[in-house]
Amino acid sequence: MAEAVKEKEENPLDIDGSNFNPDMYLDVLLKCATLKQVMDKEAEIVTQSQFLQSEMQTLVYENYNKFISATETVRKMRTDFKIMQEEMNKLSENMNKITTFSAQISDSLRESGNNVSRLCGTRQLLDKLQFLFLLPSQLNKAIEEGRYADAVHDYTHAQRVLQKYGNQPSFQSIQTECSEIIYGLKKTLRERLLSPDTSASELAESVGLLRQLQETDSSLQDIFLSCSESRLDQHLQALSGMVESTDILEWVEKCNNTLLADLGIIISCYHDMFQDKESTNIPDFADKIMLQVFHLFEEVVKKPDNIGTEILIRGLDKFFRKLQAMTEIISSDTMSNKAIDVVIQCINHKATIQYQSIQSQFKDSLTKVRQSLASKGTDTTDLKDILNSLQVYLMQKVQASLLDLMAFLQNNLSFGLKPWCATAVADTCWKVISETMINLSDMVKKMACLQTSNNNIPFELLLILAKLCLEMQESGVSTLHTHLLKLLEESAPGLAVQNKDTNSVMVHLSTAAQAALDSEVVFIGQTAAQMLRVSVLARDWLRAPEPRGPRAVCRRVVETLASADSAASQLFPTSIKPSSDSSRRTIWSRAPSSFSPLNRIFSERIEVFSPAGADRAALSNGALKVALKALVECVRLRTFGKHGLQQLQVDVHFLQQRLSCMGNDERLLNALLEDALASAQLRCVDPQLMEPSIVDIICERG
Amino acid sequence: MEEGNSIIYGLEHQTRALSPQYGESDAIRFLIGTQSLKPNSNQIHVVELEEDTGALHTKVFKHDIGEVWHLRCSPHDAATLLTTHNSYDPATSQCTMGVSIFKLPTVEVIPKDLDDLSAIQSRNAEDMELLLTIKPEKPEEEIRCAEWHPTDASRVGVVCEGGVRVHDVTGGAAISRAAASARLKFTGGKWNPHQGHTQFAVLQDTHIKCYDTRSDCTKPSWSIDNAHTQLARDLDFNPNRQFHLASAGDDAALKIWDYRNGKEPIFSRTDHSHWVWTVRYNTFHEQLLLSGSSDARALLTAAASVCCDLDDDGKRLSQVLEDGVLQSYEQHEDSVYCAEWSAAEPWTFASLSYDARLVLSRVPRHFKYKILL
Repeated sequence: MAEAVKEKEENPLDIDGSNFNPDMYLDVLLKCATLKQVMDKEAEIVTQSQFLQSEMQTLVYENYNKFISATETVRKMRTDFKIMQEEMNKLSENMNKITTFSAQISDSLRESGNNVSRLCGTRQLLDKLQFLFLLPSQLNKAIEEGRYADAVHDYTHAQRVLQKYGNQPSFQSIQTECSEIIYGLKKTLRERLLSPDTSASELAESVGLLRQLQETDSSLQDIFLSCSESRLDQHLQALSGMVESTDILEWVEKCNNTLLADLGIIISCYHDMFQDKESTNIPDFADKIMLQVFHLFEEVVKKPDNIGTEILIRGLDKFFRKLQAMTEIISSDTMSNKAIDVVIQCINHKATIQYQSIQSQFKDSLTKVRQSLASKGTDTTDLKDILNSLQVYLMQKVQASLLDLMAFLQNNLSFGLKPWCATAVADTCWKVISETMINLSDMVKKMACLQTSNNNIPFELLLILAKLCLEMQESGVSTLHTHLLKLLEESAPGLAVQNKDTNSVMVHLSTAAQAALDSEVVFIGQTAAQMLRVSVLARDWLRAPEPRGPRAVCRRVVETLASADSAASQLFPTSIKPSSDSSRRTIWSRAPSSFSPLNRIFSERIEVFSPAGADRAALSNGALKVALKALVECVRLRTFGKHGLQQLQVDVHFLQQRLSCMGNDERLLNALLEDALASAQLRCVDPQLMEPSIVDIICERG
Repeated sequence: MEEGNSIIYGLEHQTRALSPQYGESDAIRFLIGTQSLKPNSNQIHVVELEEDTGALHTKVFKHDIGEVWHLRCSPHDAATLLTTHNSYDPATSQCTMGVSIFKLPTVEVIPKDLDDLSAIQSRNAEDMELLLTIKPEKPEEEIRCAEWHPTDASRVGVVCEGGVRVHDVTGGAAISRAAASARLKFTGGKWNPHQGHTQFAVLQDTHIKCYDTRSDCTKPSWSIDNAHTQLARDLDFNPNRQFHLASAGDDAALKIWDYRNGKEPIFSRTDHSHWVWTVRYNTFHEQLLLSGSSDARALLTAAASVCCDLDDDGKRLSQVLEDGVLQSYEQHEDSVYCAEWSAAEPWTFASLSYDARLVLSRVPRHFKYKILL
C-alpha cells in the first residue's frame, strides 16, 4: 500500500501529485488519446481551472473581511482597557485603605484580647489555689470520713505544686499544714496497721496508701510483714487458745478461715504491691508462720480428744486441702513438702497411739492374767486358754488398728489417693505390727529380767509369754503381714509394697521367748535349790536320828518341780525325740577316770545355767539341774554322821523316784543325785549306807 | 610351763583351801590344805613352780589338827600360815572348828642335794610348829575363815557364822567383835586393805557389809545390800583403787562395785554357768580378775573399762583389753572352790578343785604383751 502511495506520489503522470510533469503528461496524453479524448480532456481541464480560479477569489475576500473586523475589535479593545485601568487603580486604592483600617482595628483590639487571656489564666490559677487552700480541710474531711484513698489521691496531686512553690510563704503554711495532716494520716494508717481489728484487706489498702505516700519499699515491706505477723500472731494465739477447748474439725475450720485466709490475702497483696522484689521475704515469712501453724496442728492432733480416726481424718483432710490451696499462693516447695509431712506425721502419730494403746491394753490384760494366776492354783487354770485369749486379743487389736489406719486411704480424701500417702500408711502399718511385737518382746524380756531379782511374777505367766512370743514368731507376724498386704491391696490397689523385713522382729521375739524360758527355768530351779540349800544347811546331819522317811522339804521340792512341769506340759508339748539324749550317751561312754567316783559324773560337764529348750522335757531338765546341783554343793559344806548320810540316802532315793518322770534325761538326774550321795559319803565320819531294800520301804512308807 | 599348757598337781584328799605364799617375793609358791574326815590324814602341801624349767616341787606337812577349810599364809612372814580347821571327835560325836597358826620349819621346797630329793620323793610328811590355836567361843560354832591383818602381824580377823572377831595372835584373845543377826549368817570376809586397815568386810547372805574393827559395833560402816540375787560367796578388794571391790555369788555373776554407791555394780558379768565361789584381783594388773566356779571352770576376765585411768586432760587412756572373758581354764573336773594369783609372779595363778586337782596356769602371752606394751 505504501508502495502504491509512493508510486502514486512519484507518478509524474498524476495531475494531483506533487511530481506532476506537465510535458510528460501532455506527451503521454497526445500519444495515447484520440482527438476526441484530447478535446474532452482540454475541456475538462479548462473547467477545472476556472473552478479553482473562482474559489481562490472567494477565499481572498473572506480573509479580507476578517482582517477588517479584527482591526475594528482591536481598536475597540484599546478604549475598553483604558477604562479598566482606571477601575483597577481605584480598587487598589480602596484595598490600601482597607488594609490600613484593619490594622487600625486590630491595633485597638489587641489590648482587650490580652486582658481576656490573662483573666482566663488567673482564673485557672485561682482554681488551683483554691484547691490548695482547701486541701488541708478536704484532707481532714476525707480522713474524718475514712476516705483515706481520696485524701492520698488529693495530696499526691497537690504535692508537686507544693514542692515547686513551697518556698513561698503563703504556700509554705499550706504545705506544712498538709504535711502535718499527711503525717497524721500516715500515723493513723500505721496505727491501723498495728491495730488488731483491721482486716487483712484493710491492711493491704493501708500499706498501698502508705506506699503512695512515698514510704520506702523495704521499710514498708518490713512494716507490712511485721504488722501482718502480729495480726497472724493474734490468730495463732487465738488458735492455740482453742487447742484445749475445741475439737479438730472446729479448730481446722477456724484456722482455715482466719489465719490461713489472712495469710493468703497478705501474701497475694504483698505480691501485688511489691512485685519487683518478690521471693525475698515472703517464703521466710510464710515458713515462719506455717511452722507455728504446723506446730499448733500437731498439738491439736496430739490432743486426746482427737483420737477418733474419723474426726482426725476429716480435720486433716480440710487442713490439707487448704494447705494445697495455700501452696499455690505461696508457691514454695517447702510448703508443699510440709503439707505432705503433716499428713505423714498424722499417720505416724495415729500409728504411735495405736501401738501404744495396744501395748497398754495388753499390759492391762497381762496384769489381769497375773492376778488370776496369783489367786488361783495352776491346776484350776487352763494355761492354754489364757495363751489363746492373749494371742487372739493381741492379733485382733493389731488387725483393728491396721483397719483403722486404712481410713487414711479413703478415696474421697484429698490425700487419699496419693502414692506417698499409701506408702506412708503401708510403712506405719508395718510399724504398728513390728512395734507391737518388739514391745511385746521387750516387755517379756523385762519381766524375765525382773523375775530373777524379785519373784513376784508367776512362772506360769513366763511360760505363757514365752509361748506367745514363739507363736507370734511362728505364725502371728506372717499372718499380720499378709493381712496388711490384703488390706493395702483393697485400699490402694496397684501400690507396690515392698516386703518388710520380718527377720529382726523374729529375732526379737525368739530372744524374748528364750529369755522368758531361761528365767522360768532358773526361777523354778532356784526355788527348789533354795529349799534344798536352806534345809541342808540348817539341819544337824551329824547327830541326826535314824531316817523314818524322806524329809518334808523333798516333797515340797518335788511338788514345785512337778507343778512347773505340768504347767509346761500344757503349753510345750514334749518333742518326740529327746534332743540331748544321744549326745549324752556318747559322752557317757568315755572311759571313767580311776581317781574318784565323782570323776565319772564330771566326765560330762553339766552346764547348770544354760539356755532352756522350748519343750517340756528341756524345761524340766533345766530346773532339775539347777536344784540338784545346789544340793550337791550344799552337801559338800556339811559333815554327816551315819544317820545323816542314811537320811540323805533316803532323800536322794525319794527324789530319784519322783523326779524320774520329769524331763527326759534320767542320766542327768541320776548323775547329780549320785554325786550328792557320793559327796555326802565323803563328808561322812562313819560312811555306812543303808540296804537299798530298806531305803525303798522307807520311801514308800513316807 | 609353755603357752596354754597348764601344770596339774593331784592330791589324795578333797581340797578347798589354797593360798599363795604372800611373804615370798621370789618363788612361785602355793599352799594347799586337804579336807578329810579321817583322823590324822590331813596335810598341807607346799607347791613350788620352778619358773625356768617348769618343774613342780612339793613338800608335805602334817596337819593332824583336822581338815582344812581355809588357809592363809602370813603376809608378814613367809613361813607362817593360818588354817581354819574342823575335826570330829567320835567320843562326843561332835565337830569342833578352830583357827591355828603354824610355822613351817623351812620355806625351801626345791631339794638342794640328793638326800633332800629322796626325802621328798618318799613324801614323808613333815611336822609344822603349832604356834597358837584360837578356839571358837561355843564349841559347835562354825568358823568360816580367818584372815591376817594386812599390816599388823599380831592381829587376825576371824569370821564365824555368827560374827566377826579380831584376835590378838600373841594371846589369842578377841580384841573386838561384830555380831551378825541370828537369821543371816556370815559366810566369809576380808580386811579392807585401804582406809587405814581398820575395816573388815563380811559376806552376809546376799549382802556385803563392812565393819570398823577398832571397836565392837553392830552397825556396818558401809554395806552393799543385795549385791547378788543369791548368796554372795566371795569378795576381793581392788589392791590399787580404794573404793573398788569385786564380788561373786550363787547367781553366777561376777560384779565390781564402787562401795560409795552400792546400788548398782559398775561392772557385771555372768560368764560362769554355776555358782562362783571365788574371785581375785591380780595384785599388779587390776584389770585381770580370776574366778572359780562350781561349773568346774576357772575364768580369766578382763575388767578394763572400770580400771581405766584418766590422763592429765581428763581423757580416758586407751583401753588395752576388751571387757570380758580372756580365757577359760577347763582342766578341772569338779567344782573350783579356790583360785589364787601367785604373790611373786604377776602372770601365774593356781586354781584348786574339790577333786584335789591343782592347776597352775599363766595369763596367755598375747594378753600379757597387750597389757605390758
